[in-house]
Amino acid sequence: MATTGLYRKFIWIPLLLIGALAPRFSHAQNFPDGPIEVIVPFNAGGGSDVFTRIFQKAIRENELCAQPLVIKNVGGAGGTIGSRWAKDAAPDGYTIMCLHDGIYTAQHYGNADWGVDDFEPIAATGRSAVVIAVSEDSPYETLSDLMEDAKARPYELVFGTNLGAPNHYSALFVQNGKPGAKFRFTQTGGGSSRLNQVKGGHIDLTGFSVAEYVQFKEAGIRALVVLSEEREPALPDLPTALEQGVDATHDLMQFWWAPKGTPQEQVDYLAKMLGQAMETPYIQERLKQLQVEPIFLTGDALKQRINERGARLNEITIEKPPPLPPLQWIVLGLVLIFGIWVWREETSKRTA
Amino acid sequence: MIEIFTSPIVIGLIVLGTALGITVGAIPGLTGTMLIALSLPLTYTMEPVHALVLLVAMYVGAVSGGLISATLLRMPGTPAAIMTTLDGYPMAQAGKPGRALGLGMGASLFGGIISWLALWLLAEPMADWSTFLGPFEYFSLVILALALLAGVGESTRAKGLLAGALGVLAAMPGTHPATGELRWTFGFTSMNGGFGLIPVLIGIFAIGKILTDITIEEAEVEQSSGHDSSWIPFREWLPHWKNLLRSSGIGTLIGVLPGVGANIGSLAAYAAAKRASKKPGDFGHGSEEGIIASEAANNATVGGALIPLIALGVPGSVIGAVLLGALILHGLQPGPLLFRQNPEAVHAIIGTMFLGNIVMFCLMLGGARWIARLSAVPRKILSPLVFISCLWGAYALSGRWFDVIIMLGFGVVGWLMERLKLPLAPFVIGFVLAPVAEENLCAGLMASGGTYLPLVTRPVSLIFLVLAGLLLARKENQRKKPQDLVS
Repeated sequence: MATTGLYRKFIWIPLLLIGALAPRFSHAQNFPDGPIEVIVPFNAGGGSDVFTRIFQKAIRENELCAQPLVIKNVGGAGGTIGSRWAKDAAPDGYTIMCLHDGIYTAQHYGNADWGVDDFEPIAATGRSAVVIAVSEDSPYETLSDLMEDAKARPYELVFGTNLGAPNHYSALFVQNGKPGAKFRFTQTGGGSSRLNQVKGGHIDLTGFSVAEYVQFKEAGIRALVVLSEEREPALPDLPTALEQGVDATHDLMQFWWAPKGTPQEQVDYLAKMLGQAMETPYIQERLKQLQVEPIFLTGDALKQRINERGARLNEITIEKPPPLPPLQWIVLGLVLIFGIWVWREETSKRTA
Repeated sequence: MIEIFTSPIVIGLIVLGTALGITVGAIPGLTGTMLIALSLPLTYTMEPVHALVLLVAMYVGAVSGGLISATLLRMPGTPAAIMTTLDGYPMAQAGKPGRALGLGMGASLFGGIISWLALWLLAEPMADWSTFLGPFEYFSLVILALALLAGVGESTRAKGLLAGALGVLAAMPGTHPATGELRWTFGFTSMNGGFGLIPVLIGIFAIGKILTDITIEEAEVEQSSGHDSSWIPFREWLPHWKNLLRSSGIGTLIGVLPGVGANIGSLAAYAAAKRASKKPGDFGHGSEEGIIASEAANNATVGGALIPLIALGVPGSVIGAVLLGALILHGLQPGPLLFRQNPEAVHAIIGTMFLGNIVMFCLMLGGARWIARLSAVPRKILSPLVFISCLWGAYALSGRWFDVIIMLGFGVVGWLMERLKLPLAPFVIGFVLAPVAEENLCAGLMASGGTYLPLVTRPVSLIFLVLAGLLLARKENQRKKPQDLVS
């Protein structure tokens, strides 16, 4: 399915070029008169990519848009490369972006100096619950045990995450829910590398979406808590943090964004299109498989939800990791040293 | 595993990939790395399994094809076939080109199958074991890989180290792999993602090669003739069983070592075969043992190189580095989870390794002499064609002219490196592994609270570093050149 998407993207390259050259009239009744580019600020094959391609397929097969949606993966740097790209795109409705809460966590953490205020929100199309998990041979059976220990031995338990990503903030909310408890954070990358590290004992705990956890559980990990307000239907035996005396909730929402200044008619058209896609049986079925709750928000309800979620981050204070080596300068130095070595070797060969 | 290979598309791709691989392997101006780097953009639109099947088949074909032009034209089509030239061509000159080809093909098949067995049996246990490798161990492993490249490669240690360091340097601009901060982008937003793997690879290997070819004279092609059969009956193989096993074993082992590829594998096996031979004097004058050692070993490096690639995500050869890029492009993360999450991808790689060798043998048996004619295509026809595919390949990746400029820039880098006799393999492996090393070092430091001690207090990491140190501190001996081995 991702493959057909790539195929589509590919054959539209010449059309995109023509579209970029042709003069464009942004009358609402004409919109869209060219393909709409959806920026996914993560690599092909990841969770966000799969999520966006489901919508692309539903919209195409149900003819919900007069023009094709073209997905462009602009991965790297926790989504900030792609979101910068989308922010700087022309605000005409022909470039939009699908990005989850990472948009404000990156800004809050300091990885990006832009955020929700630089975009027009189009819609929210789903919510995923998150869990915190340990290796199955870990001594911790409940979140309460773990948090007691994190309080008794602050900065000893290593939490593997993507620094500045929503996953990191899940842990920060848990930490805030138990005053005095502190984790030590380390960079571990995506879901599968976090699984490896927690299994190998290189980190003590980490966070997963429910979909990831269901997939990885068999590999030898154990969830201690789901960070929702109430227990999740997919994991009825897993207690919430609130039940375990830790005042923390967190989850992940998927949002669609247009660059700031995109006309309201275009935003409305796109929101309506996404709303119709949400109604299709295909999307309902796929979201169920991905353990995504089919929430759909637009307009004022959406803006209010975004403001609430952004404001929650104010409770969080960031502690930056220890200073890291300036590897680029070390490498430059090594190049110079080896260069001189080679040069001396060559000159001595010539004189010999 | 078998159900993947019942699909006619998959079988067709194996035949296509192997045939293309053999052809570029046989044509001296083209290399397997070039073919795979240029085909990679084409595979974006394919299913991951199909893409892997095609690329691995090309790998198998490219390593084998060199033997044709080495034997018939005295020009190794790929560096991997240099040692084959030494005995294949004299034998062909003596009126037995068919037998020389037949020995090479049979040995290639045998080496391929032995290393396929190793891949099949070892990749999964190695992947399971690799969860014990934490961030510090991974960092030390990369250091060991770079030390191996510098210490075991064909050029001097200083040149190997310089090339490796330059590769790491080329990976520095862009986004910090651990913290996501930007560095050395000089204010260009296009630089935020750093230099792409594909533009760099195509530039270094294809554009650099074209520039080198333009600046040197084309050599006269010598051709040998003869019409004897390439089919060698089973009983004539029997006296060679020791040599076949030894050479395949050496090839597989050398393939596993990061960055040390088919050429070193065949060189080492050739030297070992000569030492063990009852008739060492025949080596270089059309020795059957020489052809067998070289060809069994260079094909065996393919399976060897795929083991650490699948199990650890650390490529064992330059083509392995390109395949690593291919896996990631298709959303597959090499390492222990590949076996759990995408078993079909692992099966595709391992199965193609087996079938590709069989197909290679059949195609070469049927078409070797026909392919040999292709290798006489003049460079002035080849080079423009390759150049156009380079431009297209770099652009198609993400539709950015920036990538084309990067590719051309690295073409000049590749050409300069060739002129200065700096090896390309350490550059590419350094470029690919630098983010792995940096992300792991930073992750380790964050987990350890900023102390570097675990690098030496964790036993596995310590072993890797000590090995790297020994390799680099070892007294540099005058390495034997192919010519020295003959005399």
